[in-house]
Amino acid sequence: MNTTAAPLPVLSCVPPSVVFRRRTAIIVGVVTFVTAAGVFLNFKPWMLFTDFHHLVRLADEMIPPNVALLWKKTALYQSVAETVAMAFLGTLVGGLVAFVLAFVAAKNTTPHPWLRNAARLGFGVERATPNFVVLLILFIAFGFGPYAAMIALAIGSVGMFGKLFADAIEQVDPAPCEAVASVGASPFQVIRYAVIPQVLPSVVANGFYAFDVNMRAAIALGVYGGGGIGFELQLAMKVLRYPDVLALILLVIVLITGMERVSDLIRRSLLRSEILK
Amino acid sequence: MLKPLLVFLVLGPLVGLSAYLCKVDLAGFLPGLVKGMEVLRFFFPPDWSSLREMVGPALVTVLLAAVATPLGVLLSFFFGLAGARNLSPTWLRSIARTLIGVERALPEIIVLLLLVAALGVGPFPGVIALAIGSVGMLGKLFADAIEELDAKVLESVATVGATHSQIIRFAVLPEVMPALLSNSIFRFEVNLRASVLLGAVGAGGIGFELQKAMALLEYERAMMAVLVTLLLVFGAERVSDYLRRRVLDGGKLA
Repeated sequence: MNTTAAPLPVLSCVPPSVVFRRRTAIIVGVVTFVTAAGVFLNFKPWMLFTDFHHLVRLADEMIPPNVALLWKKTALYQSVAETVAMAFLGTLVGGLVAFVLAFVAAKNTTPHPWLRNAARLGFGVERATPNFVVLLILFIAFGFGPYAAMIALAIGSVGMFGKLFADAIEQVDPAPCEAVASVGASPFQVIRYAVIPQVLPSVVANGFYAFDVNMRAAIALGVYGGGGIGFELQLAMKVLRYPDVLALILLVIVLITGMERVSDLIRRSLLRSEILK
Repeated sequence: MLKPLLVFLVLGPLVGLSAYLCKVDLAGFLPGLVKGMEVLRFFFPPDWSSLREMVGPALVTVLLAAVATPLGVLLSFFFGLAGARNLSPTWLRSIARTLIGVERALPEIIVLLLLVAALGVGPFPGVIALAIGSVGMLGKLFADAIEELDAKVLESVATVGATHSQIIRFAVLPEVMPALLSNSIFRFEVNLRASVLLGAVGAGGIGFELQKAMALLEYERAMMAVLVTLLLVFGAERVSDYLRRRVLDGGKLA
């Protein structure tokens, strides 16, 4: 790792035998811990071989995939559109809310340090809460379906984005802000003319990244009852129509890699273009 | 002046279409919010008496992630070697990279549902799903890290007569170790969150406890499960931050 010619006092002072002993201790420790945990969990690695025929049977039932389903069942188009729409709207709404809250959570723009701590704590709690918990509560409030899932994704995006945006705002160059303030700009004008132009590229880039994350989350939330392609997949699984399941899985793979390409393309051309300047 | 108009013209129809597809009901938002707040009231106070029953499931959740992460790292390391341009032939590289890409596109929950369908519920499908789930992220990172290695290092080890496995042991492994360790520690954090999620669909642990409490409408108990989950995730974040900083500072754990 160390290709520099500078002396490395700490590393060179430790004799090889000590390094070896430490490494062995760590490896033995990790292996012992994992083995103990596996025993505790009743995790039997050999099940992979003894129960391998179950996996083979499942694969056998799934192949060949019922690809015809993808163009025969027109309701699927709507499910795909629903999933993409959920991810898109969830990202946009969550991003906008997070963008506003980020100014409260950033050290240099916050109205009050207490509000900053409160916002940061809120982001942290949100990020730590599994999004299906949020979804279960939203189901009670808004009923099953894509609406509740979209709101769950938006709330999830606030936690993820809020921190990223706030960190970006804290890292802005103070010189332009001071320059704008010195000619008599109000705090809002400073944000509008000095802070936002600096953070906009990172905000947009993060927005596209969050869309990719939310696409996967939209499928997962669909499985829990949020509608879209995830729900279709779960239905096909419940009624044991495995050829349909494999066809839907292929669709999911194509959908996610495709959307990733598209969002990557738009993001690159957007960051290169003049619109953000 | 043109720019806001342009943004509006592009985003407006997209938002409208998505809102229609998501069955967005703006009129129903406020009543829904009020209803949601009322529902949230049922979650308080948390049922502290159930804390003792949550300890076991919480431990199961942590251990699921703890067993799955090293397995996933090992698996990802082989995928990383196979997916690196400078170590493996083109055909092997493209197969490995394709598999990694496919895995990354699949949400963990789908992998788990398939494994549950084949093997039944329990910790085994959970651990395997998490281990496989690690390959998509770690496999790609490892392969990229190996490809970025200085070709001179590999060549100089090869010229003194090292076999393929010796090159990996004495040139590749020492070079990528810090990246490997810090990414693996981060993956443990991700796996812990995923392990809560997977619990809800049958892998056991705190996620299952939560799902059960919600299904039985025992909201105060569910709140306790949420609090335990928060504690686990926050704790894991702290520990992983600390360990990663040590790894990246010193280049090793001890």
